[in-house]
Amino acid sequence: MFLTRSEYDRGVNTFSPEGRLFQVEYAIEAIKLGSTAIGIQTSEGVVLAVEKRITSPLMIPSTIEKIVEIDKHIGCAVSGLVADSRTLVDHARVECANHWFVYNEDMKVESVAQAVSNLAIRFGDSDDDGPAMSRPFGVAMLFAGIDKTGSHLYHMDPSGTFLEFGAKAIGSGSEGAQQSLQESYHKSMTLQEALKVALTVLKQVMEEKVSGTNVEVAAVTPEKGFHRYPQNEVETVIADL
Amino acid sequence: MCSEVQSAQDYMRDPRKHYFSPYMDNGGTTVAIAGEDFVMVASDTRLSRGFNILSREQGKVFNLTPKTMLASTGCWADVLTLNKVLQARLMMYSHEHHDTMSTTAVAQLLSTMLYWRRFFPYYVSNMLVGLDESGKGVVYHYDPVGHMEKLTFSAAGASVSLIQPFLDNQVGAFNMEGVDPPKMTKELARQLIHDSFVSAAERDINTGDGIIIYTITKDGTAEEKIKLRMD
Repeated sequence: MFLTRSEYDRGVNTFSPEGRLFQVEYAIEAIKLGSTAIGIQTSEGVVLAVEKRITSPLMIPSTIEKIVEIDKHIGCAVSGLVADSRTLVDHARVECANHWFVYNEDMKVESVAQAVSNLAIRFGDSDDDGPAMSRPFGVAMLFAGIDKTGSHLYHMDPSGTFLEFGAKAIGSGSEGAQQSLQESYHKSMTLQEALKVALTVLKQVMEEKVSGTNVEVAAVTPEKGFHRYPQNEVETVIADL
Repeated sequence: MCSEVQSAQDYMRDPRKHYFSPYMDNGGTTVAIAGEDFVMVASDTRLSRGFNILSREQGKVFNLTPKTMLASTGCWADVLTLNKVLQARLMMYSHEHHDTMSTTAVAQLLSTMLYWRRFFPYYVSNMLVGLDESGKGVVYHYDPVGHMEKLTFSAAGASVSLIQPFLDNQVGAFNMEGVDPPKMTKELARQLIHDSFVSAAERDINTGDGIIIYTITKDGTAEEKIKLRMD
């Protein structure tokens, strides 16, 4: 099987005769090695929860940052090659700031996903704009935010494809987690319920025992915008699971 | 003939000043008054160049979105170009964000666009009017390099110095003790706009011929034409 691929998986912008871009598919595989991240959208706001893999007792867990703020009204959870995500997150932040500068309004979540997608698919085509990324970005992202059209959750993968979800899981435990989300998600969820579901599902798919130190939780609400949950609040929810 | 002689002459001739004057003042006046649920904007219809009249039926108010209009006077070529670029930006926004721009967004965009030309500005006096997100009437007034002020009434263009004090007194009730500004109705706004232009046309040769008044409400835009003195 891999032999048939070998001719066409070198150039990042070369289609195979069957019409596939292998480097993009490999990048999508890279996501499946990443830690699990979950997003749940409710009418009250959007919750993001991410597993932190603590590989050594000497590691300081708080230095792992897989949920980041894009703008005061948008947060983003990443899974895969986190270093790659920094470039995309920086781009998203610049786009948001520029949108505010030009239009004096919050950028829509969909527009942010579109802007990041535009960068994500620019791999391999260096031109007058300068050098582009030589390979696809090896990250999947969840954009959670609130704009004038309500609360939204968008998922984007290395192919640049972005879609809106009610609830979405990415990373190594995503298959099982997505299944669990399908069973427990409903449209009339409260934010607190969503938080509990997110942590319940994470607990199911994580290899380690879930605790206040090995998960990162954030939410975006109309009142507070993007905000992280402090460790003690996360621990309270975990205790109730 | 001989290039040596030629260049010597060029070099030795008297110093000469060169002028570049890319701007032209084509006159025109605009007035806007906002109310709780409407905004009225008007322009005269004269386009002039010095003592000459180029047109007696050229309105200076442009449609941007169903809730927003732009009133521009100054250098007519710049008015047209600015409007064309703005229309293009509006179209690009609606394609990129699947939405028409709000009045506040257009207001900020116009300011940004004008400031981009900080060192070769569009020679245009702009007023942007519309309904904001809550349906309230708003007037934004600009200087040529993009300084923006949010107001409820304003005048701009050739007769601004004649009309603005009148509006300050009648709409704003400025500098008077114990006098409250009147509640703005469409009838009052129309009457004040009409009076403004009639008075300005008496004194200013760059204002006259006619008025076009637009009224923006949540139900759409209404247009009214009124004649002014044509001399």
